[in-house]
Amino acid sequence: MSNDNVQFMSHHTKVEYKIPEPSLLSLHFGDELAKARIIGHRCPQCSKVYMPPRGYCPLCVVETTEADEVEVSTNGTVTTFSIITPLQYPGQEETEDYVQGTILLDGADTTIMVMQMDGIPIADMRMGMRVRAVWPPEAKRTDSVTASVNRGMGLGDAVERWEPTGEPDLTREQIAEHVL
Amino acid sequence: MRDVAIVSFAQAPLEQAPGQTETLMLLPTITEALANVGMTRRDVEFTCSGSADYLTGGTFTFVQMLEAAGAWPPISESHVEMDGAWALYEAWVRLQHGDVDVALVFASGRASLGASLRETLTFQLDPYYLAPIGADYVSLAALQAQAVLERTGKTENDLAQIVAERRRDASGSPNSAVPGDASADDLLKNDYVVAPLRTHDIGPPVDGAAAIVLVAGDRAREVCAQPAWIAGIDHRADPHYPGVRDLTVSRSTKQAGEKAGVGKGGVEVAELSAVCTPEELVLAEALGLGDDVAINPSGGALVANPVMVTGLVRIGEAAKHVFGGGSRALGHASSGPCLQQNLVCVVEGRS
Repeated sequence: MSNDNVQFMSHHTKVEYKIPEPSLLSLHFGDELAKARIIGHRCPQCSKVYMPPRGYCPLCVVETTEADEVEVSTNGTVTTFSIITPLQYPGQEETEDYVQGTILLDGADTTIMVMQMDGIPIADMRMGMRVRAVWPPEAKRTDSVTASVNRGMGLGDAVERWEPTGEPDLTREQIAEHVL
Repeated sequence: MRDVAIVSFAQAPLEQAPGQTETLMLLPTITEALANVGMTRRDVEFTCSGSADYLTGGTFTFVQMLEAAGAWPPISESHVEMDGAWALYEAWVRLQHGDVDVALVFASGRASLGASLRETLTFQLDPYYLAPIGADYVSLAALQAQAVLERTGKTENDLAQIVAERRRDASGSPNSAVPGDASADDLLKNDYVVAPLRTHDIGPPVDGAAAIVLVAGDRAREVCAQPAWIAGIDHRADPHYPGVRDLTVSRSTKQAGEKAGVGKGGVEVAELSAVCTPEELVLAEALGLGDDVAINPSGGALVANPVMVTGLVRIGEAAKHVFGGGSRALGHASSGPCLQQNLVCVVEGRS
């Protein structure tokens, strides 16, 4: 059978969802980000601190509440990172190599991923590097908070950039549990 | 066959805290189902869940739900992209292997997050002929309804009588999404959604979560005073295309009912996943249910349709009948356009 006998049809479909619908907990997390505060929930059983808070500890399978809320540091450690070389395609805004990092904030047991590391030269990036969050000016924070909340995970783009603190690096052993 | 019993059933209340996550709808529900029979998550040897990513537009959302079951240290689990009733079927098969005795089954769905279930369910249809014309589940159910009314001689008033009765039965239930005091005459003032189906003929899609615990052998009696033994369970499918079927009958339900042994000893209660009123007539006929059978005493799916949970709840309601001293009941689940695929589970009390 030749291709002439095959007919093609276009069929475009669309479904609109009401999500991302932030949970009350995500909204509260976003409100705190607007105050340049990062909060988590400490599991009452195993003491692990989840940031962002999920309202439960998936290891102990118990609910966590406002009573378990703790503030974590805005300083942390790069546990791993990727150098991304953008391929040019329509809509791609990046043109140069850039870095996305995974950061373990002091006082948290969970990492935040896909953090843009624009503030640090690629050649200087190291696993174990100590960094601090640089917040956008207060007037600009609301938009970034909304964005991050809608991501449902991590900090989104609430933090303007990360910069080295200059402290000695953590060793591989110290961050081994948090590389992923 | 190895004897397997439903020993516990729990359902999340319809009224959820605003902004509740699906995982947090499930977590206390699973805890409750296990605690009812003195168990914890550590006692569970196999876990199977049912849900569908299309409802919330997420990807691999069942992975987040799994956190409500507790997946660390690693557990043995599986998932079906279907109503939780089919997860229960898989768990039942797993227990037939004989090496494990306790299974947890759960299901969840947040139908409220889609644009509308009518749009979302269009994607369950074949992508060549049915999906492109936007043949939504209510329109297809209306075609079926028209055919059923013509063949049986029933009227829209008969349909309204059924709905009024279901709503009355469910009145005061935390799992009903509709008021219980409307008469058939009141209901007939409602608008058509797609004729001959009026608003009351379509079970309102709601968010929901439910969990069931299955235990095999003598251990079921140790944890539950009156286990609901699975006397038979079977599922069958009709052709996908509504156009090649006689929509006024359900051959797959009839076959599943026969294989599950509905006729052998009859049932006192039948919980049917009829999300549109005429489906109840088709199902009752296919299963050979007489006037002595109480159909959907919980109100059924016409008072609330927690999509992906509805079928599992029907089986749970049938089990509740046995927990309360009843001797035999059936739970039914359905999937696909115009009752395409059907599962029947018969449960019974044994002395």
